[in-house]
Amino acid sequence: MKNTIKVERAKKNWTQADLAKEIGISRQGLNSIETGKFIPSTVLALRMAKAFNTTVEVLFQLDDKEQ
Amino acid sequence: MERSEKNVSRNSVIFALVYGATYLPAALLLKHQMVSKPLSLVIAIVPIATFAFYILKLIRAFSVMDEVKQRVQLEAVVIGFSLTAMLVMLLFLLELCGVSNPGWFGYGHLVGYCWIFYFIGWFISKKKYGV
Repeated sequence: MKNTIKVERAKKNWTQADLAKEIGISRQGLNSIETGKFIPSTVLALRMAKAFNTTVEVLFQLDDKEQ
Repeated sequence: MERSEKNVSRNSVIFALVYGATYLPAALLLKHQMVSKPLSLVIAIVPIATFAFYILKLIRAFSVMDEVKQRVQLEAVVIGFSLTAMLVMLLFLLELCGVSNPGWFGYGHLVGYCWIFYFIGWFISKKKYGV
C-alpha cells in the first residue's frame, strides 16, 4: 500500500505533529503510517482524508502487486 | 484526548510500581519464612491483588492508545505469551527427560521470564513500526 500523505501534508504546509494532532494520534504513529509500516483503519483513513479535504482513494493506493 | 491518554498511562505505571513494591517484599518475606502461616497467606495474596489492579489499569491504558500503539502492545503480548508458553513446554518436556534445574526455572523465575519476553516483544514491535 502506498500513500500520498507527505505530498498532501506539504500542500497544506503541515508538519507531522500538526496532522497527528488533527486526527488524534501520536506523531510517531503518523510517521509509521506515512512510511508505509502501518496500514491505518478505515476510520483513521477517513479522518485523515477529511483533514485534507480529499478522499481516501487519493491518500491511499494499492501497490501494483496488490492489485 | 492526549491528556487523558497520558493520565491513564501514568496510572498504569503507578500501579506497576505498586505491584513491584508489594511483590518483591512479599517474595522475600515468604522465602525466608519470617512470618506465621496465616499471615503469610495474607501476604501471598496482596501482590496478586495489586497485580490485578495493575492489569485493569493497563487494559484501560490500551483502550485510549492510538491504533499504532495498540498494535505494538498486541504484538508484544503475543510474542511474550508465545515465548513463555514455549519455555513452559520445554521445561515440561525436559522434566520428563529427567533434565531440569528448578534453581533457575521455578515458578518465581517464570514470572520474571514472562516479563522479559514481553519486553523483547515490545522492543521487536516498536522497531517494526518505527514507533
